[in-house]
Amino acid sequence: MDISYKEKGLIASLGVTLLIFGWYLYGAFSNLSLNPEPPGFIEIIILIILVVVLESIIHSFVALKNKSQLEDERDKLIEKISYRYSYWFLSACIWFLMVQILLDARFDNHLMLTTPYGMFHFLLLFFVLSEVIHFGTQLYYYRKGV
Amino acid sequence: MSQQTLADKVGVTRQTIFAIEKDKYSPSLEVAFKISNVFKTPLEDVFTYE
Repeated sequence: MDISYKEKGLIASLGVTLLIFGWYLYGAFSNLSLNPEPPGFIEIIILIILVVVLESIIHSFVALKNKSQLEDERDKLIEKISYRYSYWFLSACIWFLMVQILLDARFDNHLMLTTPYGMFHFLLLFFVLSEVIHFGTQLYYYRKGV
Repeated sequence: MSQQTLADKVGVTRQTIFAIEKDKYSPSLEVAFKISNVFKTPLEDVFTYE
Protein backbone atom coordinates (compact mmCIF):
# COMPACT_ATOMS: atom_id res chain seq x y z
CA MET A 1 0.00 0.00 0.00
CA ASP A 2 1.38 3.39 -1.09
CA ILE A 3 1.01 5.81 1.83
CA SER A 4 1.81 9.48 1.22
CA TYR A 5 3.64 11.85 3.53
CA LYS A 6 0.34 13.54 4.40
CA GLU A 7 -1.33 10.22 5.24
CA LYS A 8 1.55 9.22 7.53
CA GLY A 9 1.21 12.53 9.36
CA LEU A 10 -2.55 12.06 9.66
CA ILE A 11 -2.21 8.53 11.02
CA ALA A 12 0.29 9.84 13.59
CA SER A 13 -2.00 12.72 14.63
CA LEU A 14 -5.00 10.42 14.84
CA GLY A 15 -3.05 7.87 16.89
CA VAL A 16 -1.66 10.45 19.32
CA THR A 17 -5.06 12.15 19.75
CA LEU A 18 -6.86 8.87 20.34
CA LEU A 19 -4.22 7.51 22.65
CA ILE A 20 -3.71 10.49 24.94
CA PHE A 21 -7.16 12.08 24.98
CA GLY A 22 -8.79 8.63 24.85
CA TRP A 23 -6.83 7.57 27.93
CA TYR A 24 -7.69 10.81 29.75
CA LEU A 25 -11.40 10.77 28.79
CA TYR A 26 -11.76 7.09 29.63
CA GLY A 27 -10.49 7.85 33.15
CA ALA A 28 -12.64 10.96 33.43
CA PHE A 29 -15.89 9.31 32.27
CA SER A 30 -15.43 6.23 34.41
CA ASN A 31 -15.14 8.50 37.49
CA LEU A 32 -17.66 11.13 36.38
CA SER A 33 -20.37 10.31 38.94
CA LEU A 34 -17.95 9.24 41.67
CA ASN A 35 -15.65 12.21 41.48
CA PRO A 36 -17.63 15.38 40.68
CA GLU A 37 -14.66 17.72 41.02
CA PRO A 38 -13.35 20.03 38.33
CA PRO A 39 -10.24 18.74 36.55
CA GLY A 40 -6.86 20.10 37.50
CA PHE A 41 -5.79 23.01 35.29
CA ILE A 42 -2.17 21.84 35.28
CA GLU A 43 -3.30 18.32 34.33
CA ILE A 44 -5.10 19.62 31.21
CA ILE A 45 -2.21 21.89 30.21
CA ILE A 46 0.25 18.99 30.53
CA LEU A 47 -2.08 16.81 28.43
CA ILE A 48 -2.31 19.40 25.62
CA ILE A 49 1.45 20.06 25.68
CA LEU A 50 2.07 16.30 25.53
CA VAL A 51 -0.17 15.95 22.44
CA VAL A 52 1.45 18.94 20.68
CA VAL A 53 5.02 17.78 21.46
CA LEU A 54 4.35 14.17 20.41
CA GLU A 55 2.65 15.26 17.18
CA SER A 56 5.50 17.67 16.39
CA ILE A 57 8.13 14.97 16.95
CA ILE A 58 6.31 12.47 14.72
CA HIS A 59 5.61 15.09 12.02
CA SER A 60 9.27 16.19 12.01
CA PHE A 61 10.39 12.58 11.73
CA VAL A 62 7.99 11.92 8.83
CA ALA A 63 9.02 15.21 7.14
CA LEU A 64 12.72 14.32 7.40
CA LYS A 65 12.12 11.07 5.56
CA ASN A 66 10.02 12.78 2.86
CA LYS A 67 11.94 15.98 2.10
CA SER A 68 10.72 16.30 -1.49
CA GLN A 69 7.02 16.18 -0.61
CA LEU A 70 4.91 19.31 -0.74
CA GLU A 71 1.27 20.15 -0.19
CA ASP A 72 -0.73 20.47 -3.39
CA GLU A 73 -4.29 21.31 -4.46
CA ARG A 74 -5.57 17.78 -3.75
CA ASP A 75 -4.30 17.95 -0.15
CA LYS A 76 -5.95 21.35 0.34
CA LEU A 77 -9.26 20.12 -1.14
CA ILE A 78 -9.32 17.02 1.08
CA GLU A 79 -8.50 19.14 4.13
CA LYS A 80 -11.32 21.56 3.26
CA ILE A 81 -13.85 18.73 2.91
CA SER A 82 -12.78 17.18 6.20
CA TYR A 83 -13.05 20.53 8.02
CA ARG A 84 -16.65 20.76 6.80
CA TYR A 85 -17.54 17.42 8.39
CA SER A 86 -15.82 18.20 11.69
CA TYR A 87 -17.42 21.66 11.75
CA TRP A 88 -20.94 20.25 11.36
CA PHE A 89 -20.29 17.59 13.99
CA LEU A 90 -18.92 20.11 16.49
CA SER A 91 -21.80 22.54 15.80
CA ALA A 92 -24.35 19.78 16.42
CA CYS A 93 -22.62 18.83 19.68
CA ILE A 94 -22.48 22.44 20.91
CA TRP A 95 -26.20 22.86 20.14
CA PHE A 96 -26.88 19.62 22.00
CA LEU A 97 -25.05 20.93 25.07
CA MET A 98 -26.82 24.30 24.87
CA VAL A 99 -30.23 22.59 24.77
CA GLN A 100 -29.21 20.41 27.71
CA ILE A 101 -28.24 23.49 29.74
CA LEU A 102 -31.58 25.18 28.91
CA LEU A 103 -33.56 22.07 29.82
CA ASP A 104 -31.58 21.75 32.99
CA ALA A 105 -32.36 25.34 33.97
CA ARG A 106 -36.01 25.09 32.94
CA PHE A 107 -36.89 21.83 34.72
CA ASP A 108 -34.38 22.16 37.53
CA ASN A 109 -32.83 18.84 36.67
CA HIS A 110 -29.21 18.47 37.63
CA LEU A 111 -27.97 16.06 35.08
CA MET A 112 -24.42 14.82 35.18
CA LEU A 113 -23.92 16.44 31.80
CA THR A 114 -24.55 19.99 32.97
CA THR A 115 -22.39 20.03 36.07
CA PRO A 116 -19.21 22.08 35.46
CA TYR A 117 -17.11 18.92 35.63
CA GLY A 118 -19.41 16.97 33.31
CA MET A 119 -19.77 19.85 30.85
CA PHE A 120 -16.02 20.35 30.67
CA HIS A 121 -15.46 16.69 29.84
CA PHE A 122 -18.30 16.53 27.32
CA LEU A 123 -16.91 19.63 25.59
CA LEU A 124 -13.45 18.04 25.57
CA LEU A 125 -14.96 14.81 24.22
CA PHE A 126 -16.75 16.72 21.42
CA PHE A 127 -13.55 18.59 20.47
CA VAL A 128 -11.56 15.35 20.42
CA LEU A 129 -14.25 13.59 18.36
CA SER A 130 -14.35 16.45 15.87
CA GLU A 131 -10.55 16.19 15.55
CA VAL A 132 -10.90 12.44 15.01
CA ILE A 133 -13.50 13.14 12.29
CA HIS A 134 -11.15 15.72 10.78
CA PHE A 135 -8.26 13.21 10.57
CA GLY A 136 -10.47 10.22 9.75
CA THR A 137 -12.31 11.83 6.82
CA GLN A 138 -8.99 13.00 5.36
CA LEU A 139 -7.64 9.45 5.49
CA TYR A 140 -10.88 8.19 3.96
CA TYR A 141 -10.73 10.64 1.04
CA TYR A 142 -7.03 9.95 0.43
CA ARG A 143 -7.95 6.27 -0.03
CA LYS A 144 -11.34 6.63 -1.75
CA GLY A 145 -10.46 9.59 -3.94
CA VAL A 146 -12.11 12.98 -4.24
CA MET B 1 8.23 9.38 -17.86
CA SER B 2 7.93 8.44 -14.19
CA GLN B 3 5.13 9.67 -11.97
CA GLN B 4 7.68 11.50 -9.79
CA THR B 5 9.21 13.31 -12.81
CA LEU B 6 5.78 14.41 -14.01
CA ALA B 7 4.78 15.44 -10.47
CA ASP B 8 7.95 17.55 -10.12
CA LYS B 9 7.35 19.24 -13.48
CA VAL B 10 3.70 19.98 -12.69
CA GLY B 11 4.28 20.96 -9.05
CA VAL B 12 2.11 18.37 -7.34
CA THR B 13 2.83 15.25 -5.32
CA ARG B 14 3.43 11.85 -6.90
CA GLN B 15 0.31 10.61 -5.09
CA THR B 16 -1.79 13.23 -6.92
CA ILE B 17 -0.49 12.02 -10.30
CA PHE B 18 -1.28 8.46 -9.19
CA ALA B 19 -4.81 9.53 -8.11
CA ILE B 20 -5.40 11.27 -11.49
CA GLU B 21 -4.26 8.14 -13.36
CA LYS B 22 -6.55 5.94 -11.26
CA ASP B 23 -9.49 8.32 -11.83
CA LYS B 24 -9.65 9.12 -8.12
CA TYR B 25 -9.06 12.84 -8.51
CA SER B 26 -10.12 15.41 -11.10
CA PRO B 27 -7.36 18.02 -11.30
CA SER B 28 -7.94 21.75 -11.57
CA LEU B 29 -7.72 23.36 -15.00
CA GLU B 30 -4.31 24.78 -14.06
CA VAL B 31 -2.85 21.34 -13.30
CA ALA B 32 -4.58 19.81 -16.32
CA PHE B 33 -3.00 22.42 -18.63
CA LYS B 34 0.40 21.95 -16.98
CA ILE B 35 0.21 18.18 -17.60
CA SER B 36 -0.76 18.68 -21.24
CA ASN B 37 2.08 21.21 -21.61
CA VAL B 38 4.58 18.68 -20.24
CA PHE B 39 3.46 16.16 -22.90
CA LYS B 40 3.20 18.94 -25.52
CA THR B 41 -0.22 17.68 -26.57
CA PRO B 42 -3.66 19.35 -26.55
CA LEU B 43 -5.66 19.10 -23.33
CA GLU B 44 -8.39 16.98 -24.92
CA ASP B 45 -5.81 14.33 -25.88
CA VAL B 46 -4.76 13.92 -22.26
CA PHE B 47 -8.12 14.28 -20.51
CA THR B 48 -11.59 13.17 -21.55
CA TYR B 49 -14.88 13.93 -19.88
CA GLU B 50 -16.99 10.89 -19.04
